[in-house]
Amino acid sequence: MNVLRSQVCSILRRPIYRQIASVTRPFIPPAQLVFHDTLLEPGAKELDDSTVEALEDETDRRELEDDEFDPNDDRDKPHPDSPNFYSCRSSYYDNIVELQTAISRTRGTLQRLHLLPLPEFARKSLKPMPTVWKTPEEMTTDFETTMTISRYRRVTALLNELNEYLRIATTAGYADVADKIGSIISIFESGKKEAFLSRGIRKLVQLDQHGRSYTFGKRKTSSARVWMIPVKASSLQLNYDVNVEEALGLSDKPKRPPVNVTVSTILINNLPIAEYFPQPVDRERIVRPLKLAGVLGKYNVFTIVRGGGTTGQSGAIAHGIAKGIFAHEPETGTVLKRAKLLRRDPRMVERKKTGLAKARKRYTWVKR
Amino acid sequence: MALASSRPSFYRSLQGTLTGLPHTRGYANSPPGQQSPFKIQNVKNSGTSKNKKAFSRKNRIGAFRSMNPSQLTDPVLQPHSNLSVPSFKPELMTEDRIGQVVAFNQTPHDPIKYFGIPKNMLLEFRLLSQRCSVIRNITVFTAEELKSAASKPSHKTRYVLTGPSGCGKSFLLLQAVQFCLAEEWIVIYIPRAKTTVNSTTTHTYDLRTQTYLQPNFAQQTLRRILEVNSSNLQTLTMREGLNYDRRSFSSGTTLAQLASAGSKDPVISSVVLETLLNELSRQSKIPVLLAVDDFQAIYNQKTLYRDPHFSAIRPYHLAIPRLILEYASGKRSFPKGAILGAITAADPMFPVTTELMDELRLPGTHPRSAYNKRSKILQEYAQGLMNLPVPEEFSPREAASVFENWMRDNALTAPANDEVFLAKYTESAGNPKAFVWQGILGTLEGAAPIVSENTPWPQLREGRM
Repeated sequence: MNVLRSQVCSILRRPIYRQIASVTRPFIPPAQLVFHDTLLEPGAKELDDSTVEALEDETDRRELEDDEFDPNDDRDKPHPDSPNFYSCRSSYYDNIVELQTAISRTRGTLQRLHLLPLPEFARKSLKPMPTVWKTPEEMTTDFETTMTISRYRRVTALLNELNEYLRIATTAGYADVADKIGSIISIFESGKKEAFLSRGIRKLVQLDQHGRSYTFGKRKTSSARVWMIPVKASSLQLNYDVNVEEALGLSDKPKRPPVNVTVSTILINNLPIAEYFPQPVDRERIVRPLKLAGVLGKYNVFTIVRGGGTTGQSGAIAHGIAKGIFAHEPETGTVLKRAKLLRRDPRMVERKKTGLAKARKRYTWVKR
Repeated sequence: MALASSRPSFYRSLQGTLTGLPHTRGYANSPPGQQSPFKIQNVKNSGTSKNKKAFSRKNRIGAFRSMNPSQLTDPVLQPHSNLSVPSFKPELMTEDRIGQVVAFNQTPHDPIKYFGIPKNMLLEFRLLSQRCSVIRNITVFTAEELKSAASKPSHKTRYVLTGPSGCGKSFLLLQAVQFCLAEEWIVIYIPRAKTTVNSTTTHTYDLRTQTYLQPNFAQQTLRRILEVNSSNLQTLTMREGLNYDRRSFSSGTTLAQLASAGSKDPVISSVVLETLLNELSRQSKIPVLLAVDDFQAIYNQKTLYRDPHFSAIRPYHLAIPRLILEYASGKRSFPKGAILGAITAADPMFPVTTELMDELRLPGTHPRSAYNKRSKILQEYAQGLMNLPVPEEFSPREAASVFENWMRDNALTAPANDEVFLAKYTESAGNPKAFVWQGILGTLEGAAPIVSENTPWPQLREGRM
């Protein structure tokens, strides 16, 4: 028997490194650890025995007092909030994971409801739901990480897929599924969605409490504000032509057909049209939208026009009147559109260019 | 460059011809119709065509010569109009006849022919097959006024027809003239009163009256009055005799004889006109109408006449304008009758003056204050004038009648339907002149193009309404 062996065994039986961090024991940085041999620290004073004993007692006491917290025990260390903690972009990956989960769950639900895979004809008849996602800058604050293009694209790809499922669910009529998807999507939708989607679309002109429409027309550098109100057919106009004898057929005078029409009054800067525009071409241009829509004599028009010359002003008024007719009677939209009256004429005076005498005119070519 | 090089040769050749020829006038020698005597020899003409003979006078085809009228066989050029408009009668001046078109037919004492009419109306009557006008509500009103004026002195019925340009003042005046003539009045109609003040007739200073007489105008006026009112003037006789310039008229001579004597001799015409008007102012048998168009011209302080010191002559110093002014102001009056004047809104040479605007209470284009210059004399001459505003727009019924009238006279290029009528009415805002001249006659609208259904280009079909 080896006496050393028993000694080695006894030595070996004692754990040598008791300070190694394990799963159950929380990680304590070295600076916070209490060292028995403080002589190893730089600039450390040599401790006398009483101090060392006091420190040892303190450590033992602490270990015995705090039952919950044991720095050497792995079970008591604080857990990270998310499993993606060590990626340093926990919020981003969390959201990605949640979106993917939502997609897979929704896909499952729709498959069970036999809505997926959808045939081509059904896909074409889905309700269009255009969406506008938040900008990368806005998403940066949400995800707490810089949204590079690749990350943004990854997120929007997932959102677009969710939006497709939302379309399918709403068109199919499953409101609860649609609501759930909608709640997820709404977190990522931009606040300017309405404004962005309604860009370029004609705003509906509202009639005020008297039934007047207020529209704006422009041509070249002229602008016209146009108010249109329906003409009230007064009974006084009709009395002119009523004659008892004629009505009963007793008179021998030649019978003339009655003229029962209301007439439109057009006032431009408070002057009648014949006074403001002496040229017949300008007058015809202004009356043309009323003629095409067939509403001559139905509306009275009052305009205030500024800027430009005769052609520009008459064109602006015509544009405003066309828009006003469209506001009162949307059925005339086709006719006015075909006649290009609802369109603001984009032709403007072309600028003069360097090296040219005018916009297009070149200087006289000289051979030498 | 070619021209520059040809110039020296031109001068050389000219010198040659000038020095070579004796002193004769070349153009007299050469026979007419042939080569021009001034044609330069030996000059290189770059740019002329080779075939000069094709354009010579005798080789020209008659394609650009005017055609014989009998060769105009196209139906468009055939004159045919189905205008059968009833002629003007005083009985038609009633409320239920408003909007009816009536014609002024040719009569032996036609005032349009003898007195004349303003230029715009003349042009319109030339276009129409018949001389038509429409009865408006203001016509009926004026007729009523004139009927009541037939028994009142003229200083009680002095109207001035006012309104914006083109609203029908001259037409209304003509209707009043025709009405009064039909009612057996004596009518003195001066259609263009600005000819009395724009220095187009001779004027001579008369010491006796201390005014400038206008003998030629007086002569013309007497002739016109005589032609139109001969029957009435023959019934009236002079109360006092007249002795002037070795001519004497005894007290019993008819006014017709007096007028005819004055219309033949410009020397006595001014005096005769004055006497005639005096006689008419004394008789109370027949009402007299004095109708003056361009009424504002005689109220302008400065006429176009100049006196020997080159200062402008005032209208009240000229004989004829003074006459009109005196009757218009009521200083002279016919025992029965009326004075009617119509202003011309758009004559920049003779605008409506401040005195007239004050009296007639017209708004005018510029604001007036007490500090504007006014002539006291003209204010006096404008006293008591009454404003008769002519409505500035046709009613739809009147406009429809006018439209139908022109339509029946084949004046419309556009299809005659309600749309065209309403469009023209709206464009002209009902203004009569604009409606007729710029609406009906001035429109370029034609019939809509007919595109067949088989046309291969769909965009042509698209354009159809």
